[in-house]
Amino acid sequence: MAFWSHAPVFFAPSLLYHIATVISECILDGDRVRLRPVADGDLPHFVQWLADWDVRRWLAEMDSPPTLKEERQWYDRRRSDPDAVMWAIDTLEGRLAGNVELRLQPMRRKAELGISIHDKTLWSQGLGTDAVRLVLHYAFEELALNRVELMTDEENARAIRCYEKCGFVREGLLRQHRLIDGKFGNTVVMSVLADEWRG
Amino acid sequence: MARVMKMTETRALTGAKVCLRPLGEHDLPTLQIWFNDPDVRHWLHQSERPEATLEDIRERILRPTEQNTIAWVIEADGRPIGVLRLMDIDPYHRRCELAISIGEKEYWGRGYGTDAIGQALGYAFGVLELGRVGLLTDADNARGIRCYEKCGFVREGVLRHHRLRYGRPLDMVFMGALGEEWERSEVRGQK
Repeated sequence: MAFWSHAPVFFAPSLLYHIATVISECILDGDRVRLRPVADGDLPHFVQWLADWDVRRWLAEMDSPPTLKEERQWYDRRRSDPDAVMWAIDTLEGRLAGNVELRLQPMRRKAELGISIHDKTLWSQGLGTDAVRLVLHYAFEELALNRVELMTDEENARAIRCYEKCGFVREGLLRQHRLIDGKFGNTVVMSVLADEWRG
Repeated sequence: MARVMKMTETRALTGAKVCLRPLGEHDLPTLQIWFNDPDVRHWLHQSERPEATLEDIRERILRPTEQNTIAWVIEADGRPIGVLRLMDIDPYHRRCELAISIGEKEYWGRGYGTDAIGQALGYAFGVLELGRVGLLTDADNARGIRCYEKCGFVREGVLRHHRLRYGRPLDMVFMGALGEEWERSEVRGQK
């Protein structure tokens, strides 16, 4: 995994910033996926997949399909944000499938996870589950976080099943949280705590 | 799509017990005194940070009003007693987050917060035409939760270990008020 040995449980937030910036370049190898830094060449593929409503429908902040320019702005913002750690998800054959990220709140020792398998021909093959497990291991063992949370569309049953398999617990429902295709939709909040993940 | 008003257009609001007027630079020293009062700070995210400086407060409270936040000073008996904000106003998804703090402690538990929130919800649903107002509060803040329920907020879930208070993980409750519920609520009828 990463070359960092297990991080101490408590350390100064400034150190955590430093680690996150450095370590986001690491490669994480799983049983079904390899996580690696997002490269500029990935962006046109993301844009192409995000033009598809079937993919975009499940994503927050994706009310209209991004242009390549917008996607590059998003990428540059993330790259320059010390609290964002982002990976591209590849299959073991080296085929790009999507991306996954952690948005850190170091002072609270927590992060929000976001993931999307953009290539829908690769849905339901366990790629997302493997990627989430890799990122959770990284979050709890390398970054010594206490909580990883996420939000997902209430109707996204496939994603919720995946998150539950990875140890996430449903904490509640934000009612009428998003406007999707002209209708209000609810958002599920889930989290996994370090103790649960280790237990 | 809902309307977002610039801070400069934000109206003053008048309730039965309180007035809300737009927050300005000159209010920051008062906010600093409140936010550094240990009893007030206990319930704020401020409790996980060092003492608030004027600059911190300017950045966190005043600066966002240039973008997607409306901030009011709550006044009663002719003096400021607290601050109320509608934050992260999202005109596309028609939602925002509410935060309130009564800084003058002798006004705690006497309905001043409830009156202020009622005014702000009327503004969020009636003027900004939002569909949802959410909030986060400490899970052990029984007085706050009771007040929010009175105002029409519904408890939606618990974020476990969501923040730290004096270095210890603390659960937070999230609640939401919906425009369609507000339309038929008693709070509104009492106005």
